[in-house]
Amino acid sequence: MSTVSVRYIVDDVDAAIAFYRDRLGFSELMHPDPAFAMLTQGDLRLVLVAPVPAGHPGGGSRPMPDGTQQRPGGWNRFMLEVPDLAAAAGKLRAAGVGFRNDIVTGIGAKQVMIEDPSGNPVELYESIRPEARLNR
Amino acid sequence: MAADSLDVLRLPVVPVEPRPRFADALLRQIAAAEAGGADPAAVRADPAGLRDNPTVRYFVSDLDTAVAFYRGRLGFEEELVSAPGFAMLYRGGLRLLLSVPGVAGAGAPLPDGSLPSAGGWNRITLQVTDIAGTVEALRTAGVRVRADVSTGFAVRQALIEDPSGNLVELIEPAAGYHERT
Repeated sequence: MSTVSVRYIVDDVDAAIAFYRDRLGFSELMHPDPAFAMLTQGDLRLVLVAPVPAGHPGGGSRPMPDGTQQRPGGWNRFMLEVPDLAAAAGKLRAAGVGFRNDIVTGIGAKQVMIEDPSGNPVELYESIRPEARLNR
Repeated sequence: MAADSLDVLRLPVVPVEPRPRFADALLRQIAAAEAGGADPAAVRADPAGLRDNPTVRYFVSDLDTAVAFYRGRLGFEEELVSAPGFAMLYRGGLRLLLSVPGVAGAGAPLPDGSLPSAGGWNRITLQVTDIAGTVEALRTAGVRVRADVSTGFAVRQALIEDPSGNLVELIEPAAGYHERT
């Protein structure tokens, strides 16, 4: 069951669906509107929305009350754990996926940031300490 | 110099002991589950299952302020805080990592020198049962509301900001709305 929901703003919902499905193993749950899709992987539900005008029935990606448009990008992201980060990164790079950085070694994990077709970051990580896998 | 494998990897050693508050919260959750009153998915009693917990990283300008906000206003539990740059919180199945830009690890500058920052429009979505009441209570508590309650396809939603300007979306499903999967 999807217990956690994340919303990403994308320029092109169809391109985003293809990316998350084909590159990162998400499944498409629904795509009832050109500006809206719901994908899932494990317990994560990923809602993809394209910016819509103020009068659009879909409420998640309308402009703010002051007229500011929502847009892709930023640095906040969801993270996916992979057993072999170097292998996963190599595969994605070969498939033409964009990277913001090279693999860096942090305190609890090796990590790297890829971008979806709209430039939203997704972080892939490989735990290198038991604490990073949470809980003992 | 001690021949420690961490030295070889040149990894800084940081305190990672769970805080007593977290231990208390976990015990409460387990007790509630055993009493049959809680969503089993919210109980992280099986360490093997934790790896699958959806994880989100937010950048925040001040760690303590952010931890206080997510704990005090949105009901997150604290797993660990490693000042000055990193904290790990939970809410139900969600693991939320807070990172401070400029601090080594996830906060480090990119190869081109750009620094991660708070903000943007991508966000976590938290389901609530009374969105109007929740937003009003948050507003009264001084939380910034970026977009007040509005109605979408099957939910009512609102956008609030954490102290660093990161968005958190609150949703209340409409009557008759069935959760998918």
